[in-house]
Amino acid sequence: MRTAGPRRFRISEPAILVLAGIIVAMIVFGALASDRFASVKNATNVLEQAAPLGFAALGQMLVVVSGGIDLSIGAIVAVSSVLLAGTVNGSGTLMMPMLVAVLSLGAAIGALNGVITLRTGVHPLIVTLGMSSILNGLVLLYTLQPVGKAPVWFEEFAFGRILGMPMAGVVMLGASALVALFLRYHPSGRSIYALGGNREAARLSGIPIDRTTILAYAASGFLAALAGAYFVSRTGVGDPRVGDMMTLASITPVVVGGAVLGGGRGRVLGTLLGVLMVSLLNNLLNYLSVSTFYQWVIQGLIIIAAVAIFVDRSKRL
Amino acid sequence: MTLNSGTIQPRPVFDVLRRYQMMVLLASLVVAATILQPSFLAPRNIRDVLTQAAPLGMLVLGQTLVILVSGLDLSVASLMATVAVLATAFNATSDAMIPVIFLVAVAFSAVVGLINGLLVTKRNVSPFLATLAMMTVLQGVRFAYTQGAPAGSLPAGFRWLGTGSVLGLPVNLLAFLLIFAVLSFILHKTVYGRMIYMTGGNPRSAELVGVSSATVTIACYVICSSLAGIGGLFLVGFVGTVDNWVGRGYELDSIVAAVIGGVALSGGSGTLAGATLGTLILVVLFNITIILGFPIQAQLVIKGVIVILAAALFARANEKRT
Repeated sequence: MRTAGPRRFRISEPAILVLAGIIVAMIVFGALASDRFASVKNATNVLEQAAPLGFAALGQMLVVVSGGIDLSIGAIVAVSSVLLAGTVNGSGTLMMPMLVAVLSLGAAIGALNGVITLRTGVHPLIVTLGMSSILNGLVLLYTLQPVGKAPVWFEEFAFGRILGMPMAGVVMLGASALVALFLRYHPSGRSIYALGGNREAARLSGIPIDRTTILAYAASGFLAALAGAYFVSRTGVGDPRVGDMMTLASITPVVVGGAVLGGGRGRVLGTLLGVLMVSLLNNLLNYLSVSTFYQWVIQGLIIIAAVAIFVDRSKRL
Repeated sequence: MTLNSGTIQPRPVFDVLRRYQMMVLLASLVVAATILQPSFLAPRNIRDVLTQAAPLGMLVLGQTLVILVSGLDLSVASLMATVAVLATAFNATSDAMIPVIFLVAVAFSAVVGLINGLLVTKRNVSPFLATLAMMTVLQGVRFAYTQGAPAGSLPAGFRWLGTGSVLGLPVNLLAFLLIFAVLSFILHKTVYGRMIYMTGGNPRSAELVGVSSATVTIACYVICSSLAGIGGLFLVGFVGTVDNWVGRGYELDSIVAAVIGGVALSGGSGTLAGATLGTLILVVLFNITIILGFPIQAQLVIKGVIVILAAALFARANEKRT
C-alpha cells in the first residue's frame, strides 16, 4: 500500500532517518567547529528563524500530498505582509482585526487557486504560477518600497518568549502538531492522502474531491499569510520583496522530508525535520562565514542529493 | 495522457485550427494595439518588438522540446545569466573572440543540460526539482564568481549581434529564424522528431517500438540548455550590459509562451510554430502595456491572467477531443 499515509508511527522511513542523521551530524560538526554554535541561545535563534519557512513548508506539504503544488506561496507572503503593515500603519487597535482579515485573505486566495484548478482542469503549476504573477504585480503596483508600520507590541510574535522558547517557533510547532493530528485522524485529512494517492479511486470511493482540494490550497494560503505576518512582526514593515525566495524555499523541506511530488505521500515530521535541516544548515554556514552565494550552491546540491538518492521516486510531477 | 493514441498521431485539422486560433488572437492584439496607439505599427516599433522577442523565442524553442517529452526546465534563465557572466570572463576586446566565446558558452550549457537530463532519466528526479536545484546552483556559482558585481567586458561585436541588422532584418531575429527552421525540420520531418512526440505521448510504448526514451529526453534537455546559452549571449548583446540577473523571469516567460502557444504540459502535444506564436503574443502584450503607459508592474498582472486563461482554453479543447 503505497498510499497508506501515516497510519502508524513509522519512524523507519528512510527520508526521515537520513534527515535525522544529517541534522545530528551538522550539530556535532558545528559544535566542534565553533564553541558558540551548540548553545541554548543559538538553538533559540534557529527555532525562531525556522518559523516562517515552517509555516510555508507546512502549507506546501498539504498541497503536495493532495497531488498539487503551490507556487503562489511567496506572492501570498508578500501580499499579506504589505497589506498588514500598510493598513495598520502603527495603529494598535487595527492590528488584530487586520491580522484576522489578512489571514482570511490568504486562505481565500488559496481557495481560489483550488477552485480555478478544479473548474478549468489546468495544471496547478500553471494556475498558481499565474496567480503568483498577478499577486506580485498588484503588490508592486501598491508599493515598490517597504511600507507601513506595525505597533511595537506585535514584535512579540517574532521575538517574544514562552517558557524560554521563541514564540514564533512555538506557534510553528503548534501548527505542525495540529496539521499532523488533522492528517492522521480527521476524515478530511485522510481524504487528502487518498486524493493524492489515486484521484480516480478517491472519487469512486465517495471522497469529496472538490472540497478536499480547496481545503488543501486554502490551508496553504492561510499558512503563507501567517508567514507574511511573521515578517511584519520581525521587521516592523511590509516589504514587497519579502516573499521572493519563499515559494521555492518552501518546496525543499517538503521533498527532502520524503513527500513525493505527485501526491499521496508525505509526513509532517519529515517536513519539520526538513525545515530544521535547512535552517540549521544556513545557521551553520553563517557561523563558518560561508558567503550566501556558496550557501545557494550547497542548497541546490542538497536538493539534488536528497531527491536523487533517498526519496521514493515512483511518482513524478 | 495515458493511453491516448490521439496525442501521437498527427491531427492536421486540429493543428491547423489551433494555429489559426492563435493567429486570430495575435492579429486582434495587433489591431487593438494600433487603435490604441497608431505608432505601434511604425517600422521602428515592430523592429523593437521582434528584436526583443528573438532571445526569448530561442529559449521558448528549447523549453518546448523539453515540455514535449513531459519535462520542464526552470534553469534556463539562470543559465542565460551564467553564460553572460562566463562570456565576460574572457575579457575579450577583439571580435575574433566571439566564435570562441560562443563555443565555450554552448559547451558549458550543453553540460548543464546533460546533467539535467541524466538526473531526470537515470535518477528519475522530477524535472521540476532537478532544474530548480540546477537554477539555484548556477545562481550560487555565478554570484560567487562575480562577488555580486560582474566586471569584465565583451567585444563590441556583441552589440551588433543583439541590436544590429542585415538587409533590414535584426541579426538576432535571423539567428532565431535559422534555429527555428532547423529544429522544425528535425521535429516535423525526421524520425527523431517522431521519437520526441512518442516519448512525450507514451514513454512505455515508445520503448516497445525501440525508441530509447531516455536518450531522446536527454537530447531535448541538452538542446534546451544550449539554446538558453545562445539566447543568453544574444540577450546580453541586446541589453548591452552584463549583470547577475540577465534574463530574470525568462524561465517562467518561456513556459508561459509555450502554454499560450498550445504546448501541453503533459507532453507529446504541441508545435514549435505554436510556441513561437505564443512568444509573439506575450511580447506584443508587454509592448501594449508599455504603449498604454501602464507601470511595468502591470505586465505581471496581465501575464498571470493571460496564462491562466490560455491554459484553461486549451484544457477545455483537450477535454472535448478525448
